[in-house]
Amino acid sequence: MSETKNPLTDEVKALIGVSAEKVEASPPWGIEREGLRIFTNAIMDPDPRYWDDAFATTTKFGGIVTPPIYCSYIGRKTLAGVEDPVSRAFRENPNSDGIGGMREGGADRRGVLPPIPTPLKRILNAGNEIELYQYPKLGDHIYSQAKYHDIKGRVTKDGVAMLVVTTQATFTNQDGDVLCILRQSGIRR
Amino acid sequence: MVTADELRNKAQLYYDDVQAGQDMPPLVIGPMTPTHLFRWSAAIENWHRIHYDQNFAVYHDGLPNILAQGSWKQSILPRYLKDMCLPDGWPWKVQFQHRAMIVPGDTITVWARVTGKREAEGLGLIDMDVGMRLQYDAESCPGTATIVLPIRGGRAIPYPFVAPKGA
Repeated sequence: MSETKNPLTDEVKALIGVSAEKVEASPPWGIEREGLRIFTNAIMDPDPRYWDDAFATTTKFGGIVTPPIYCSYIGRKTLAGVEDPVSRAFRENPNSDGIGGMREGGADRRGVLPPIPTPLKRILNAGNEIELYQYPKLGDHIYSQAKYHDIKGRVTKDGVAMLVVTTQATFTNQDGDVLCILRQSGIRR
Repeated sequence: MVTADELRNKAQLYYDDVQAGQDMPPLVIGPMTPTHLFRWSAAIENWHRIHYDQNFAVYHDGLPNILAQGSWKQSILPRYLKDMCLPDGWPWKVQFQHRAMIVPGDTITVWARVTGKREAEGLGLIDMDVGMRLQYDAESCPGTATIVLPIRGGRAIPYPFVAPKGA
Protein backbone atom coordinates (compact mmCIF):
# COMPACT_ATOMS: atom_id res chain seq x y z
CA MET A 1 0.00 0.00 0.00
CA SER A 2 1.56 3.29 -1.06
CA GLU A 3 2.05 5.94 1.58
CA THR A 4 0.21 9.26 1.16
CA LYS A 5 2.74 12.01 0.54
CA ASN A 6 2.73 15.29 2.40
CA PRO A 7 1.13 17.73 -0.05
CA LEU A 8 3.50 20.52 1.02
CA THR A 9 5.75 20.14 -2.00
CA ASP A 10 8.67 22.45 -2.73
CA GLU A 11 6.53 24.08 -5.38
CA VAL A 12 3.78 24.82 -2.85
CA LYS A 13 6.25 25.88 -0.15
CA ALA A 14 7.77 28.38 -2.54
CA LEU A 15 4.51 30.37 -2.40
CA ILE A 16 4.88 31.21 1.31
CA GLY A 17 5.43 34.93 1.56
CA VAL A 18 4.43 35.59 -2.06
CA SER A 19 2.40 38.78 -2.44
CA ALA A 20 0.02 39.91 -5.14
CA GLU A 21 -0.09 43.39 -6.64
CA LYS A 22 -1.41 46.13 -4.35
CA VAL A 23 -4.71 47.35 -5.80
CA GLU A 24 -7.35 49.90 -4.96
CA ALA A 25 -10.23 48.20 -3.16
CA SER A 26 -12.47 51.26 -2.91
CA PRO A 27 -14.52 52.60 -5.81
CA PRO A 28 -13.06 55.64 -7.64
CA TRP A 29 -14.98 58.00 -5.35
CA GLY A 30 -13.65 56.47 -2.12
CA ILE A 31 -15.54 55.78 1.11
CA GLU A 32 -18.97 57.40 0.96
CA ARG A 33 -22.04 57.82 3.16
CA GLU A 34 -24.64 55.77 1.34
CA GLY A 35 -22.59 52.57 1.18
CA LEU A 36 -21.68 53.12 4.82
CA ARG A 37 -25.37 53.57 5.77
CA ILE A 38 -26.40 50.36 4.01
CA PHE A 39 -23.55 48.41 5.64
CA THR A 40 -24.09 49.65 9.19
CA ASN A 41 -27.80 48.87 8.92
CA ALA A 42 -26.97 45.34 7.78
CA ILE A 43 -24.81 44.73 10.86
CA MET A 44 -27.40 46.55 12.97
CA ASP A 45 -24.81 48.89 14.50
CA PRO A 46 -26.36 52.31 15.27
CA ASP A 47 -23.06 53.86 16.43
CA PRO A 48 -23.30 57.64 15.82
CA ARG A 49 -19.61 57.66 14.91
CA TYR A 50 -20.80 56.31 11.54
CA TRP A 51 -23.40 58.99 10.73
CA ASP A 52 -23.59 61.89 13.22
CA ASP A 53 -21.11 64.49 11.92
CA ALA A 54 -21.44 66.80 14.94
CA PHE A 55 -20.80 63.99 17.42
CA ALA A 56 -18.10 62.25 15.36
CA THR A 57 -16.11 65.49 15.22
CA THR A 58 -15.88 65.47 19.04
CA THR A 59 -14.38 61.96 19.16
CA LYS A 60 -10.73 60.98 18.84
CA PHE A 61 -11.45 60.09 15.21
CA GLY A 62 -12.21 63.70 14.33
CA GLY A 63 -15.04 62.81 11.97
CA ILE A 64 -17.18 60.05 10.54
CA VAL A 65 -15.44 56.65 10.49
CA THR A 66 -16.51 53.21 9.31
CA PRO A 67 -16.98 49.93 11.21
CA PRO A 68 -13.78 48.01 11.98
CA ILE A 69 -13.38 45.93 8.83
CA TYR A 70 -15.69 47.77 6.44
CA CYS A 71 -12.78 48.32 4.08
CA SER A 72 -12.48 44.57 3.50
CA TYR A 73 -15.93 44.39 1.91
CA ILE A 74 -15.94 47.29 -0.53
CA GLY A 75 -13.65 45.59 -3.05
CA ARG A 76 -16.27 42.89 -3.63
CA LYS A 77 -18.70 45.28 -5.26
CA THR A 78 -19.21 45.28 -9.01
CA LEU A 79 -18.43 48.65 -10.54
CA ALA A 80 -20.69 50.16 -13.18
CA GLY A 81 -20.04 49.57 -16.83
CA VAL A 82 -18.81 45.96 -16.66
CA GLU A 83 -20.56 42.80 -17.78
CA ASP A 84 -23.25 41.87 -15.26
CA PRO A 85 -21.74 39.02 -13.21
CA VAL A 86 -25.15 37.69 -12.15
CA SER A 87 -26.38 37.30 -15.73
CA ARG A 88 -23.03 35.79 -16.72
CA ALA A 89 -23.20 33.27 -13.88
CA PHE A 90 -26.55 31.88 -15.08
CA ARG A 91 -25.66 32.10 -18.75
CA GLU A 92 -22.60 29.93 -18.10
CA ASN A 93 -24.48 27.61 -15.78
CA PRO A 94 -28.28 27.66 -15.43
CA ASN A 95 -27.83 25.95 -12.04
CA SER A 96 -25.26 28.48 -10.89
CA ASP A 97 -24.77 29.12 -7.19
CA GLY A 98 -25.06 32.82 -8.00
CA ILE A 99 -21.39 33.68 -7.65
CA GLY A 100 -19.97 31.67 -10.53
CA GLY A 101 -19.92 34.80 -12.66
CA MET A 102 -17.66 36.70 -10.28
CA ARG A 103 -14.10 37.07 -11.42
CA GLU A 104 -11.65 37.44 -8.54
CA GLY A 105 -9.73 40.65 -9.02
CA GLY A 106 -12.20 41.95 -11.57
CA ALA A 107 -12.10 41.53 -15.33
CA ASP A 108 -8.32 42.10 -15.44
CA ARG A 109 -7.62 39.76 -12.46
CA ARG A 110 -5.49 42.30 -10.65
CA GLY A 111 -4.41 41.74 -7.08
CA VAL A 112 -4.98 37.99 -7.26
CA LEU A 113 -2.53 35.54 -5.73
CA PRO A 114 -1.14 32.77 -7.97
CA PRO A 115 -3.08 29.52 -7.61
CA ILE A 116 -1.67 26.81 -5.38
CA PRO A 117 -0.35 23.93 -7.50
CA THR A 118 -2.18 21.12 -5.73
CA PRO A 119 -4.81 18.56 -6.69
CA LEU A 120 -6.52 19.18 -3.32
CA LYS A 121 -9.60 21.14 -4.36
CA ARG A 122 -12.12 20.92 -1.50
CA ILE A 123 -11.75 23.98 0.72
CA LEU A 124 -13.08 24.37 4.27
CA ASN A 125 -12.84 27.64 6.19
CA ALA A 126 -10.55 26.98 9.15
CA GLY A 127 -10.77 30.41 10.71
CA ASN A 128 -10.14 34.13 10.57
CA GLU A 129 -7.83 36.58 12.30
CA ILE A 130 -8.31 40.33 12.40
CA GLU A 131 -5.89 43.03 13.56
CA LEU A 132 -7.15 46.62 13.75
CA TYR A 133 -5.07 49.79 13.69
CA GLN A 134 -7.23 52.57 12.28
CA TYR A 135 -10.78 53.05 11.00
CA PRO A 136 -11.27 54.36 7.46
CA LYS A 137 -12.82 57.83 7.16
CA LEU A 138 -15.24 59.32 4.65
CA GLY A 139 -13.40 60.13 1.46
CA ASP A 140 -10.54 57.68 2.11
CA HIS A 141 -9.28 55.53 -0.71
CA ILE A 142 -8.56 51.96 0.36
CA TYR A 143 -5.84 49.71 -1.02
CA SER A 144 -5.42 46.00 -0.43
CA GLN A 145 -2.57 43.60 -0.92
CA ALA A 146 -2.90 39.83 -0.62
CA LYS A 147 -0.14 37.49 0.49
CA TYR A 148 0.33 33.81 1.28
CA HIS A 149 1.10 34.23 4.99
CA ASP A 150 1.75 30.54 5.68
CA ILE A 151 1.10 27.10 4.22
CA LYS A 152 1.33 23.88 6.23
CA GLY A 153 0.94 20.35 4.97
CA ARG A 154 0.13 17.13 6.75
CA VAL A 155 -1.20 13.65 6.35
CA THR A 156 -3.74 12.47 8.91
CA LYS A 157 -3.59 9.11 10.67
CA ASP A 158 -6.21 7.93 8.16
CA GLY A 159 -3.94 8.85 5.28
CA VAL A 160 -5.78 12.00 4.22
CA ALA A 161 -3.52 14.66 2.77
CA MET A 162 -4.32 18.25 3.59
CA LEU A 163 -2.89 21.72 3.25
CA VAL A 164 -3.70 24.56 5.63
CA VAL A 165 -3.32 27.75 3.62
CA THR A 166 -3.36 31.11 5.40
CA THR A 167 -3.81 34.11 3.15
CA GLN A 168 -3.38 37.62 4.44
CA ALA A 169 -4.90 40.86 3.17
CA THR A 170 -3.42 44.16 4.34
CA PHE A 171 -5.63 47.21 3.92
CA THR A 172 -4.08 50.69 3.73
CA ASN A 173 -5.35 54.16 2.93
CA GLN A 174 -4.14 56.76 0.44
CA ASP A 175 -1.42 57.82 2.91
CA GLY A 176 -0.08 54.28 3.27
CA ASP A 177 -1.42 53.92 6.83
CA VAL A 178 -2.25 50.32 7.74
CA LEU A 179 -5.96 50.15 8.59
CA CYS A 180 -6.37 46.45 9.29
CA ILE A 181 -4.84 43.08 8.52
CA LEU A 182 -7.09 40.11 7.86
CA ARG A 183 -5.93 36.51 7.69
CA GLN A 184 -8.04 33.59 6.56
CA SER A 185 -7.05 29.98 6.92
CA GLY A 186 -8.50 27.33 4.65
CA ILE A 187 -8.08 23.58 4.79
CA ARG A 188 -7.60 22.01 1.38
CA ARG A 189 -8.18 18.30 1.10
CA MET B 1 -29.94 45.71 20.96
CA VAL B 2 -27.81 48.67 21.94
CA THR B 3 -29.01 52.13 20.93
CA ALA B 4 -27.20 55.04 19.31
CA ASP B 5 -27.52 57.11 22.48
CA GLU B 6 -26.05 54.31 24.61
CA LEU B 7 -23.01 54.22 22.31
CA ARG B 8 -22.82 58.00 22.26
CA ASN B 9 -22.77 58.23 26.06
CA LYS B 10 -21.01 55.01 26.96
CA ALA B 11 -18.84 55.20 30.08
CA GLN B 12 -15.22 54.12 29.66
CA LEU B 13 -14.29 50.67 30.94
CA TYR B 14 -10.84 50.80 32.55
CA TYR B 15 -8.15 48.13 32.75
CA ASP B 16 -8.24 48.49 36.53
CA ASP B 17 -11.89 47.42 36.68
CA VAL B 18 -11.52 44.16 34.74
CA GLN B 19 -10.53 40.87 36.37
CA ALA B 20 -9.56 37.47 35.05
CA GLY B 21 -12.58 35.18 34.92
CA GLN B 22 -14.99 38.07 34.45
CA ASP B 23 -17.83 37.69 31.96
CA MET B 24 -18.30 40.82 29.86
CA PRO B 25 -21.85 42.04 29.07
CA PRO B 26 -23.12 40.08 26.07
CA LEU B 27 -24.67 41.36 22.86
CA VAL B 28 -27.85 39.53 21.86
CA ILE B 29 -28.86 39.51 18.19
CA GLY B 30 -31.96 37.94 16.72
CA PRO B 31 -33.97 35.97 16.14
CA MET B 32 -32.37 36.04 12.70
CA THR B 33 -34.73 35.97 9.72
CA PRO B 34 -34.30 35.40 5.97
CA THR B 35 -34.64 39.15 5.57
CA HIS B 36 -31.59 39.82 7.77
CA LEU B 37 -29.55 37.42 5.64
CA PHE B 38 -30.86 38.89 2.38
CA ARG B 39 -30.05 42.42 3.56
CA TRP B 40 -26.43 41.49 4.27
CA SER B 41 -26.03 39.72 0.92
CA ALA B 42 -27.33 42.84 -0.81
CA ALA B 43 -25.19 45.19 1.29
CA ILE B 44 -21.93 43.54 0.29
CA GLU B 45 -23.13 42.14 -3.07
CA ASN B 46 -22.66 38.52 -2.10
CA TRP B 47 -24.90 36.67 -4.56
CA HIS B 48 -24.31 33.18 -3.19
CA ARG B 49 -27.73 31.52 -3.27
CA ILE B 50 -27.18 29.55 -0.05
CA HIS B 51 -27.83 32.77 1.84
CA TYR B 52 -31.25 33.73 0.39
CA ASP B 53 -32.60 30.92 -1.85
CA GLN B 54 -33.93 28.23 0.47
CA ASN B 55 -34.73 25.70 -2.29
CA PHE B 56 -31.16 25.96 -3.58
CA ALA B 57 -29.61 25.79 -0.11
CA VAL B 58 -31.62 22.73 0.92
CA TYR B 59 -32.10 20.73 -2.29
CA HIS B 60 -28.95 21.62 -4.25
CA ASP B 61 -26.38 22.07 -1.47
CA GLY B 62 -27.94 19.78 1.13
CA LEU B 63 -27.96 22.43 3.83
CA PRO B 64 -30.54 22.57 6.62
CA ASN B 65 -31.71 26.05 5.59
CA ILE B 66 -30.28 29.27 4.17
CA LEU B 67 -27.19 30.21 6.18
CA ALA B 68 -25.97 33.39 7.80
CA GLN B 69 -22.88 34.53 5.97
CA GLY B 70 -19.43 33.94 7.43
CA SER B 71 -18.59 37.46 6.29
CA TRP B 72 -21.43 38.81 8.46
CA LYS B 73 -20.18 36.90 11.49
CA GLN B 74 -16.72 38.28 10.77
CA SER B 75 -18.05 41.81 11.30
CA ILE B 76 -20.07 41.06 14.42
CA LEU B 77 -17.22 40.05 16.72
CA PRO B 78 -15.14 43.20 15.96
CA ARG B 79 -18.30 45.30 16.38
CA TYR B 80 -18.90 43.74 19.83
CA LEU B 81 -15.31 44.42 20.89
CA LYS B 82 -15.51 47.96 19.48
CA ASP B 83 -18.55 48.70 21.63
CA MET B 84 -16.83 47.22 24.70
CA CYS B 85 -13.83 49.53 24.28
CA LEU B 86 -15.72 52.78 23.62
CA PRO B 87 -14.97 55.61 23.84
CA ASP B 88 -11.19 55.51 24.22
CA GLY B 89 -10.14 51.84 24.25
CA TRP B 90 -9.13 49.86 21.18
CA PRO B 91 -10.38 46.48 19.86
CA TRP B 92 -6.92 45.36 18.72
CA LYS B 93 -7.31 41.78 17.55
CA VAL B 94 -9.59 38.80 17.37
CA GLN B 95 -9.35 35.34 15.89
CA PHE B 96 -12.08 32.74 15.56
CA GLN B 97 -13.24 29.64 13.78
CA HIS B 98 -16.57 28.88 12.14
CA ARG B 99 -18.47 26.06 13.77
CA ALA B 100 -22.28 25.80 14.19
CA MET B 101 -24.21 27.19 11.24
CA ILE B 102 -26.56 30.11 11.90
CA VAL B 103 -29.97 29.81 10.25
CA PRO B 104 -33.21 31.84 10.38
CA GLY B 105 -34.82 31.46 13.79
CA ASP B 106 -31.50 31.46 15.65
CA THR B 107 -30.79 33.97 18.39
CA ILE B 108 -27.10 34.76 18.84
CA THR B 109 -25.44 35.73 22.10
CA VAL B 110 -22.04 37.32 21.46
CA TRP B 111 -19.96 36.77 24.59
CA ALA B 112 -16.52 37.34 26.08
CA ARG B 113 -14.78 36.05 29.20
CA VAL B 114 -11.54 37.59 30.47
CA THR B 115 -8.71 35.05 30.59
CA GLY B 116 -5.91 37.40 31.59
CA LYS B 117 -4.66 40.96 31.81
CA ARG B 118 -1.22 42.50 31.33
CA GLU B 119 0.37 45.90 31.00
CA ALA B 120 2.63 46.78 28.10
CA GLU B 121 4.20 50.19 27.46
CA GLY B 122 1.68 51.81 29.80
CA LEU B 123 -1.34 50.26 28.07
CA GLY B 124 -3.73 47.75 29.57
CA LEU B 125 -4.15 44.58 27.50
CA ILE B 126 -7.09 42.32 28.22
CA ASP B 127 -7.09 38.80 26.78
CA MET B 128 -10.43 37.07 26.35
CA ASP B 129 -12.15 33.98 25.09
CA VAL B 130 -14.97 35.09 22.78
CA GLY B 131 -17.74 33.51 20.77
CA MET B 132 -21.21 33.63 19.30
CA ARG B 133 -23.46 31.14 21.08
CA LEU B 134 -26.83 30.05 19.73
CA GLN B 135 -30.04 29.63 21.71
CA TYR B 136 -29.57 25.84 21.93
CA ASP B 137 -26.08 26.30 23.40
CA ALA B 138 -24.12 25.50 20.24
CA GLU B 139 -21.06 27.65 19.68
CA SER B 140 -20.90 29.26 16.25
CA CYS B 141 -17.65 31.24 16.44
CA PRO B 142 -15.22 30.17 19.19
CA GLY B 143 -12.19 32.40 19.41
CA THR B 144 -9.89 34.67 21.36
CA ALA B 145 -9.40 38.40 21.43
CA THR B 146 -7.15 41.09 22.88
CA ILE B 147 -8.52 44.55 23.58
CA VAL B 148 -6.65 47.56 24.89
CA LEU B 149 -8.14 49.59 27.76
CA PRO B 150 -6.81 52.73 29.38
CA ILE B 151 -5.24 52.45 32.83
CA ARG B 152 -6.56 54.97 35.35
CA GLY B 153 -4.08 57.81 35.55
CA GLY B 154 -2.14 56.28 32.66
CA ARG B 155 -1.46 57.41 29.14
CA ALA B 156 -4.05 57.67 26.40
CA ILE B 157 -4.28 54.82 23.95
CA PRO B 158 -2.73 56.09 20.73
CA TYR B 159 -4.88 56.51 17.68
CA PRO B 160 -4.04 55.32 15.10
CA PHE B 161 -3.21 52.35 17.29
CA VAL B 162 0.42 51.36 17.69
CA ALA B 163 0.83 47.88 19.13
CA PRO B 164 3.21 47.55 22.09
CA LYS B 165 6.37 45.76 21.05
CA GLY B 166 6.33 42.05 21.76
CA ALA B 167 2.75 42.14 23.06
